[in-house]
Amino acid sequence: MTRPVDLDDIVAQARTAVSQADDLDALDRAVGSVFGKRGALTAVQQGLGQLEPAERRELGRRVNEARAALQAAIAQRRSVLVQERDRVVLARERIDVTLPPRTPKRGSLHPIAETQEALVDTFAGLGYTAITGPEVESDWFNFTALNFPRDHPARLLHDTIYVEPLAADARPQTAMLRTHTTPVQVRAMLAQPPPLYVSMAGRTYRQDTPDATHLPVFHQIDGLAVDTDLSFADLRGTLAAFARALLGSAAEIRLRPHYFPFTEPSCEVDARVPGGRWMELLGAGMVHPNVLRAVGYDPERVGGFAFGIGVERVAMLRHGIDDLRLLADNDLRFLAAF
Amino acid sequence: MRIPLSWLAEFVDLTGTTPEGLAETLTFGGLEVEAVRRPTSGTRGVVVAEVRAAAPVPGSDKLILVEAFDGQRSWEIVCGASNFGVGDRVPAALPGATLPGGLQIGAKRLMGVTSNGMLASARELGVGDDHRGIWVLDGDAPLGADLNEWLDLEDAVLDLEVTPDRGYALSLHGVARDIAALTGAALHLPEQEELANLDAPGAVPVTIDDPERCPRFTATLVEGVTVRPSPAVLQRRLAAAGMRPRSSVVDATNAAMLETGHPVHAYDRSQLAGPLLAVRDARHGEAVVTLDGVERRLDPDDLVIADAETVVGLAGVMGGAGTEVADTTTDVVIEVASFQPAAVLRTGRRHLLLTEASTRFEKGVPPETVPLGVSRCLELLTEVAGGRAVAATDAYPGRAERPVIRLRPERARRALGMPLADERQAGLLRAIACQVEPEGPALVVYPPVYRPDLRLEADLYEELARLEGYDKIPETVPASGTVGGRLPEHAARQAVRRVLAGAGWSEVLTFPFLGEDDIEALGLPAVDRRRRPVALVNPLSKEESVLRSSLLPGLARVLRRNVNRQTADVAIFEIGRVFLPPTAEDPGADAGAEGGVLPAEPVALGLLACGAFAQARWDSPARPVDVADVVGAVDAACRAVGRGPVVVTATDERPFHPGRAARLTVAGTDIGVAGELHPRVVAALDLPPRTLGAELRLDRLVGDGIQPPRPSTPSPLPSLRLDVAVLVASEVPAGQVEQAVRAGAGEHLTACTLFDVFEGEQIGPGLKNLAYHLRLDDPVRQLTDADAQAVIDMIAAAVADRVGGTLRR
Repeated sequence: MTRPVDLDDIVAQARTAVSQADDLDALDRAVGSVFGKRGALTAVQQGLGQLEPAERRELGRRVNEARAALQAAIAQRRSVLVQERDRVVLARERIDVTLPPRTPKRGSLHPIAETQEALVDTFAGLGYTAITGPEVESDWFNFTALNFPRDHPARLLHDTIYVEPLAADARPQTAMLRTHTTPVQVRAMLAQPPPLYVSMAGRTYRQDTPDATHLPVFHQIDGLAVDTDLSFADLRGTLAAFARALLGSAAEIRLRPHYFPFTEPSCEVDARVPGGRWMELLGAGMVHPNVLRAVGYDPERVGGFAFGIGVERVAMLRHGIDDLRLLADNDLRFLAAF
Repeated sequence: MRIPLSWLAEFVDLTGTTPEGLAETLTFGGLEVEAVRRPTSGTRGVVVAEVRAAAPVPGSDKLILVEAFDGQRSWEIVCGASNFGVGDRVPAALPGATLPGGLQIGAKRLMGVTSNGMLASARELGVGDDHRGIWVLDGDAPLGADLNEWLDLEDAVLDLEVTPDRGYALSLHGVARDIAALTGAALHLPEQEELANLDAPGAVPVTIDDPERCPRFTATLVEGVTVRPSPAVLQRRLAAAGMRPRSSVVDATNAAMLETGHPVHAYDRSQLAGPLLAVRDARHGEAVVTLDGVERRLDPDDLVIADAETVVGLAGVMGGAGTEVADTTTDVVIEVASFQPAAVLRTGRRHLLLTEASTRFEKGVPPETVPLGVSRCLELLTEVAGGRAVAATDAYPGRAERPVIRLRPERARRALGMPLADERQAGLLRAIACQVEPEGPALVVYPPVYRPDLRLEADLYEELARLEGYDKIPETVPASGTVGGRLPEHAARQAVRRVLAGAGWSEVLTFPFLGEDDIEALGLPAVDRRRRPVALVNPLSKEESVLRSSLLPGLARVLRRNVNRQTADVAIFEIGRVFLPPTAEDPGADAGAEGGVLPAEPVALGLLACGAFAQARWDSPARPVDVADVVGAVDAACRAVGRGPVVVTATDERPFHPGRAARLTVAGTDIGVAGELHPRVVAALDLPPRTLGAELRLDRLVGDGIQPPRPSTPSPLPSLRLDVAVLVASEVPAGQVEQAVRAGAGEHLTACTLFDVFEGEQIGPGLKNLAYHLRLDDPVRQLTDADAQAVIDMIAAAVADRVGGTLRR
């Protein structure tokens, strides 16, 4: 038969054991000696069933009070001991977090390809669909359909890289590495009736010795819009929007009259680059009526504009590169930046 | 074209303009000024002096002591040249003078005498490049005059970049006209006069075989000229315009050309057989020594000028040395003609000659204004060389109708987006000397003869826009009415690039040119299409004589270059066209209206790697790149476009190692080969041992573009997981074993991962043990141990049946 005084003793002893526990294991042992299967308080609880109802109620109430009090003491002690454990043990587990991280292996994307895709995206935003055409082009697409005179200087071996004809009976100099992406405009117009809003990016070729500003293999993106009511003002607005997308919302452009066989009127477009300098950005113009006729469009009913942008020039501007040869060198130490 | 402004000012009023302002006006008006230069600027304190006496400096065999009189006093000046005599007038840089470039002149002692300044050569004053002696000035040069003022040495020169359509701007007259049109400045141009003394006695007969290639040819006989240096003013102007002063006769012809745009050539009359001039095709075997001293074998397509015996010049390009004006020449025949641009261009390019004359003829010189060139040349000639024009011949068989253009002002407004009233349009065109007559709602426009570029209505739109000002064009953006973007296969290519870069591969872009050796190095069988590359007619170099039929040699160059620069661990890829003879399966693009055959240009993906794929770290050693890295990259690329997995079968084809290469297929389509390169290929391409690579058809890999993922619904119930181990003969490919395991496991199998491969004594010789983690799921039923046992039994049967293996549990 448990006496009230016994309960007080149990509580007192347990408090002492808890407060004297100096690590979490000792605390667990102290808790076990009170609340465990053979714990002192457990025994008192088990004895309750043999008591008279009134006595049982009274003692039960006191047992509950004792448990609550002890549990509060245990929790408090546990919190102290956990903090103590953390201070010592976790300190021992310290590692050097300044060691090099395990960054996932990463390659790079070539700046020319990335710039080209950025330009494609810009024109996609203006509603242009990106298409492609062959890099080995026929004289007809590269020159004739684009209103180049038969004896235009670009048609000479001096400027253009020609390929040996694939058919035995072919005339010489009928196939070449395209000198611009503009022939893809002709292919696009032959393939579908207007309206037409397309961009065409890709490689172009010239007989050139590599230097800081020239490569024999370079990249260009052309844009072409053909519709029923397009004007030179539309061209200018489109190029201004493009310049803002490329160089920021404060970008300015200016147009200078120029000459291309396949546009009339024609212009060269300068953009003001950071620092205030004007830089030649692209060539553009209204599609020449002879080009429209060559693809079976009626220049009286439809008209349009076209523009061509050197991708390398934009890449140099974007990345602050001053020597084109770096872009053709493929040194991984250079490419790692991209 | 270089335009000295003092010269230009004779034809258009430049009052109130600055050179830089004029450059901007011209650039934005259609004549681009590349630079404004002042080639003779900076001369100070140089005066015209007369040589009063000249005697050798005692003790020197070269130096001469000159007494130079500047009109007020004499100066003793020591000089190293001796090309002058007493009485000559020369530029004297007196003490305190400055030459262009900043050279300061003072008094200094030479060989015991004091030189008070120096006498200057033309080059020292920035006038041309003559440095053979002191510049002997005109006999009546104003004594004591400051050279800077007398010769206008502060004159600015505009460097004009003239586009092919604006040939008229290759003349001072043409540039003056545009300035007048753009600014309203007053013009002072000479009126054209008819040729004098036509067919008078002594006139040189002229014949023209082909009026199309030579519409007009005039020859004027001038007798009694004196060949001597030109006046200094003319020399200075010619030098500023970029032409070397030569002699009175030649300088007069060049000055006439610069002013009028009509190239002029002078023949020594005494050297002309006949004398007659025939404009004809060159004959087989003919040759001519041109003025530059080069003997040129002529092509029958070359248009030439011949006398009674021989060829005396390449028409419109360069005269012959045999009839060149010499110091002793007294009578000259002056040619002013018009040639077809294409004919001159072809001859010029054929003989690699680009001359002042051919540059102008290539852009069009109108026959109508030929007399203006003649009369101006004769004026200059008699002024600087004396002489008298006695007889002229004018052969003009090629009279052509001038185009008439109907301009619809309303259409011009719409095409330009500029609100230009009809009257404004007419006014602008009249400013460039077009004749404009209203006809109903249209304007009938007759362009001036020197504007052969104006043929179509659209040509006039450009004139209207540039004269009104390109800066006045409004900015509007049209609504395309379509959603822009990429074609599906193009978008898929971008996904492949990104996933490869993210997986550790670096993109490179190589020139698509290879040498025959590069292709040979791949060791391909004779039937392989890649052995028949598309050849270039005029390659950049012999090592770049064909278009690539494979990406691997180009990648090999990049890899080698990086390894040579001590970047030992390389993993690169390239996406680009390869060029192959077309086949029915791989056709080339349409060649267009004139027919022809173009190569097939499939888009290829190439990879190449050497060294470590995972580099050494403080906590782990380096891991060399192996076939699994390459195949894994391809697998990742396929998955990035919603296709895959890649199915691998062993292959023994070149350029790969016969035991270490995999042919890859995706969804039943063959996409190419990946593996270690054959040691012989590695050696031939000079690559590090064990270089690995892949060459794939990206067009086949990406198919129709990115397939959106269509996932299956995972079972809500816990998976059943178990491991199995298969004992098979060592030579059985793991791929086949896995196929057997998968087949045996049946429809419940949702994952199968090989986690161990073991060969060793414990399991016996010639055998290997492959261990797999399996995951089994059923959408509606919890799988039990009984299901596991059933699966194991089925796998055991499949393994035994398909690969002769046994299952170990």
